[in-house]
Amino acid sequence: MHYARLLMVLFICCSAFVQPLIYTSNNGLVSFRSEAPFELINASSKELKGALDLSKNNFAFRIRIRSFEGFNSPLQKEHFNENYMESEKFPEAVFNGKIIETIDYSKKGKYSIRAKGKLIIHGVEQERIIKSDLEVTEKGIRIISQFSVLLSDHAIPIPRVVKEKLANEINVSINTELYAK
Amino acid sequence: MFKKLSAAVLLSCICTFVYAQDIDLNQMLEEEQKKEEKDKIRYTEATFKSTRIINGHSVEVTQKGIMDFRIAHRFGTINGGLYDLFGLDNASMRMSFDFGLTPRLMAGVGRSTYQKQYDAFLKYKILRQSSGKRNMPVSLAVMSSAMVQTMKWTDTSRPNYFSSRMYYAHQVIVARKFSENTSIQLMPTLVHYNLVKLAGDPNDVIAIGIGGRQKISPRVSINAEYYYQVPGYKMPNTANSFSVGVDIETGGHVFQLHFTNSRGMTERTFISETAGKWSNGDILFGFNISRVFTLKKNRKK
Repeated sequence: MHYARLLMVLFICCSAFVQPLIYTSNNGLVSFRSEAPFELINASSKELKGALDLSKNNFAFRIRIRSFEGFNSPLQKEHFNENYMESEKFPEAVFNGKIIETIDYSKKGKYSIRAKGKLIIHGVEQERIIKSDLEVTEKGIRIISQFSVLLSDHAIPIPRVVKEKLANEINVSINTELYAK
Repeated sequence: MFKKLSAAVLLSCICTFVYAQDIDLNQMLEEEQKKEEKDKIRYTEATFKSTRIINGHSVEVTQKGIMDFRIAHRFGTINGGLYDLFGLDNASMRMSFDFGLTPRLMAGVGRSTYQKQYDAFLKYKILRQSSGKRNMPVSLAVMSSAMVQTMKWTDTSRPNYFSSRMYYAHQVIVARKFSENTSIQLMPTLVHYNLVKLAGDPNDVIAIGIGGRQKISPRVSINAEYYYQVPGYKMPNTANSFSVGVDIETGGHVFQLHFTNSRGMTERTFISETAGKWSNGDILFGFNISRVFTLKKNRKK
C-alpha cells in the first residue's frame, strides 16, 4: 500500500509537470532592413511561427519567405522572391536548436539568453548562436531579438549593378510572444 | 491491492513515456504550416519578366503605381551585309510609357518612327493563375490597342480622312506558368483595318499567337514568339512573324535582345504586315529596354 501511494504521488507530480510544456506562436513579427549607400529596404512579416519546449529548452522558428511585405516597390518584392530568395525552391527560413542557459520558467522576469541552432535561409544551413531577450510574462513567453544575416553566408549573390543598393549585412529583428499550447 | 499497484506502475510508466518523448518542434510547425497553406490562395507571380514577350504583349500587367518607360529598337535586315553593317545602319524605334492603374489594369501610349505611328492600349487581367484554396490553371488577360499612322497622304484618289489612318487590334491572352522556369501563352488576335490598300485585302486579319519563355538562370530567360495568320483572314504577300530572344533583368531594368523578321512594333505592323522571311535571311536584330519608376509609394505596412 505504501508503494502504491508513493507511485500515485509520483504520477501526479509527473503529470503536473507534463502539462504546459510546449509554448507556441503563430503570428510573431519578423522584419529586416538592408542599409546600402543608395537604397534602404525594409520589409516585415507577421507570420512567424514559433515553438518552445520548456522541459528540453528546445525551440523552432519558421517563416514563409513570400509573406514578407513592404519593400520599395512591388517589383522589388517580386525580385526578392524570384531572384534572391528563390522562394519557389526555398519557401521558408528556419531556425531551430536549443537555448544554452537554463531558465526557471516558473519565475516571471527578463532573461538574457543565447539560442544555439541551425539557421536555414535560402536552403543554406549555418550554425548560429543568437543572443535574445526572453521574458516570462503573466500570459506567456516573449522573445525579442536582433541579429544580422550575411547574404554571402547563405549563397545569395549580389549582382554588381545593385552593389550600391543592397547591403550584404541584413539586420533582422524578431518580436513574438508564445503561449502554452 | 496488487491490482492497484500494478495499475499505478503502468500509469507512471505511460506518463514517463509521454514526458520522455522527444517532440520535433520544427516538424510540428512544418505540419501546421502545410495545413494552413491549403486554406490560402497562392497567386502565381512573374509568368513573364516583362509586359512584352518580344514584339507582342505578355499576360503580365505593369504593377499599380508603376510607370514603365520603354525604348525599343529594330535594326535593318542582317542580309544587307557589311554595307549596312548587318542592318545597324537602318534603325527604327518605338518609345512608350506604360502605366499600372490598378493591380489588374494597365494603359500605355507609344510612338514609332516606322510609318510615324502613334498607338495606345489598355490591358486588363481577368484571371490569375493560382493554387491552394482556389485552383486556377491559367492567367487570362485582354488587350485592345488603337494605332494611327501619320505619314503624308499620298493617295490622291481618296479624301484624307483621319479614320482612314486608324487600325485596331484586340487580343485574348491565355498563359500558364508550368514551372518556375517555363511559361507558355496563346494569344488569339484580331487586327482591324479601317482602310486597306487593295479592294481584295481583308479588313480583318485573324491570327493565333504562341509565345513562351524558358528561364536559364534567375535573371536570364530565352523567349520566343510566333504569330500565325489564319488562311482566309491573312494579309496577302506577308509572312508570319517569328521572333526569338533573351531577357536579361538587372534591378529596375529589363533588357530584351532578339532576332525577328518584323520591323514594326505595333500589333498591326508585326502581326499582319511582316514583309521579311527568315528563310531569305530577312532577320532583324532588335532590343527593348524597360525602366520602371515608382510613381506612388507602396504604403501598405
